[in-house]
Amino acid sequence: MQSDSWQQWQAYAALFTPGAPAPQAAAGGAPSSVPFADVAERFSAAARAYLDGATHASASSPSLNEAARAFSDHLRDIFADFQLPWSNASPGGGFGSASSAFSPNSPALGVSREHQQRWQRIADAGRRMDDAQRRLQRLGADALREAAAAFAVRLGPAPPPAVSPEALRKLYDTWIDCAEDAYARAAHSESFCNALAEYVNASSECRRDLQAGIEHSAKFFDLPTRSELNTLNLRVKSLEEELRAARDRKPEAAKTKAAKPKAAKPKTATSGAAASKAHPKRRKGKR
Amino acid sequence: MTAANFYAALAAAEHCTPGCSEKEDVWQLGRATLYRYRAIARPSGAAPLLIVYALVNRPYMMDLQEDRSLIRGLLAQGLDVYLIDWGYPDGADRFVTLADYIDGQLAGCVEHILEAHGLDALNMLGVCQGGVLSLCYSALHPRRVRNLVTMVTPVDFHTPADLLSKWVRKIDVAALVGDGNVSGDTLNQLFLSLMPFRLTQQKYVDLLAGSPDKARVENFMRVEQWIFDSPDQAGAAFREFVVWFYQENRLAQNRLEIAGRKVDLRSLRVPILNLIGKRDHLVPPQASIALQRLAGTGDYTALEFDLGHIGMYISARAQHEVPTAIARWLASR
Repeated sequence: MQSDSWQQWQAYAALFTPGAPAPQAAAGGAPSSVPFADVAERFSAAARAYLDGATHASASSPSLNEAARAFSDHLRDIFADFQLPWSNASPGGGFGSASSAFSPNSPALGVSREHQQRWQRIADAGRRMDDAQRRLQRLGADALREAAAAFAVRLGPAPPPAVSPEALRKLYDTWIDCAEDAYARAAHSESFCNALAEYVNASSECRRDLQAGIEHSAKFFDLPTRSELNTLNLRVKSLEEELRAARDRKPEAAKTKAAKPKAAKPKTATSGAAASKAHPKRRKGKR
Repeated sequence: MTAANFYAALAAAEHCTPGCSEKEDVWQLGRATLYRYRAIARPSGAAPLLIVYALVNRPYMMDLQEDRSLIRGLLAQGLDVYLIDWGYPDGADRFVTLADYIDGQLAGCVEHILEAHGLDALNMLGVCQGGVLSLCYSALHPRRVRNLVTMVTPVDFHTPADLLSKWVRKIDVAALVGDGNVSGDTLNQLFLSLMPFRLTQQKYVDLLAGSPDKARVENFMRVEQWIFDSPDQAGAAFREFVVWFYQENRLAQNRLEIAGRKVDLRSLRVPILNLIGKRDHLVPPQASIALQRLAGTGDYTALEFDLGHIGMYISARAQHEVPTAIARWLASR
């Protein structure tokens, strides 16, 4: 295991490290356990090809522009596989076909109508998640196309330097700048915000109905449910607040009653809004 | 330098831990612990400084390592530094509200410090979301705060550059949270999504392209630990924060109430120092700058640094400039 990791790091580090041995993993594909390595490795290969090819072209040669365009198109293809952090889940969470037993519009009748409706809602939410995910992927692809075009422009007509780790780094950083700029424009757009909200909202609905189904099953076996725990949790919180309020009132009442004020007894702080009035010398008020 | 050196350095740094300054826990309430840091310089004579960190990350970022520690910088200026660690909420904390945090745990910490020092008011430094909590507390308890420093703190949540705000505005937060907590992993994904190419790729390339010396790699690993060590968020407080601040922008529109009491920034009469990161992608400068027109104080100072959000805590430049600026500003009041 350690050996695998070592080889993965060695392969990856070699891409950008001067004097490092040639990447061993390049021929066999990037190590899968280093999430960014595959993209970086393919970037390096494309960049080397671009730098090699462009070095042999003259400054005025149209082949320079073509090489830049080919490189940027290649980048777009490479990064099309790039998974945004929020899109790790499978599209629709697998709920799009949550219940093939019920068609979406079939009327819910009889003893199982509540369950049927719940599964229909889950399936509907799953479909909306799929749809939102596709819209997000399309917007991401558009952003990559924009990034590739901007990158081609940034490469410009001037002949690039010879292949070197520094040249690769500069190309890589330029590409990241272009990608982030294009992504930021997409991410700020109304359509992206709408698609993201739809994805999150549909997945929330999915989870709510799945949770309801699990609670139903738990009740059948007389197991405690989250709802019951929540009810108890709220009761405890309410009791704590009432207790603190009563403690706060007591010294105040004592003060007004007594002709000569007495020192208030230390109060117990637990938690919550009224605790600030509790005695500060109580060092540990942890529940 | 070879990749072998890198692998060895990374493996060796795997278990390095953040935090460098000596501290003791002096008070506790719920999940929150109040720490007091041990002095390392002659006392400046200023009132104690309470650092209020965000709920969404761990506060050890303020004291990451000796050469990357805002707290150490403040201690070196002779300040008496306290810090609230909000802890890791679990399922039992799902109904903890913003009122519980602000009027309960934060207020409890303030009362403890004031009692211990025999003072009526202290200095407060609110960081990021902690700055928002500090503003709320200061508006609700104006006599308890002598000077207020806000650092990378959003005030107007509807500025054009605020991507996070745009994303969450149409999300049904009540449905998202349900009756549970919000996992730290979810928040990590969200924050990475703001700049995915830089945060999930380029920073690792930068690491490997540089020198694999021990100190540099350990610094990277400590920051890496901090970034992904995100506590779950108490569901009720999270819902309130997103809806009231991000979606409805109540603080900037003077419509915010905490525990039934209005949080009116115009009632803030204390001197305010607002520290802003000009390249902050999480809290755009305009979101912080709004404090000037919204706060009622006549003593407002803003300092802008050419730094990003995290750079404000741990960059080499911040180590030199930020604690000094805070200490000087406090000393002049």
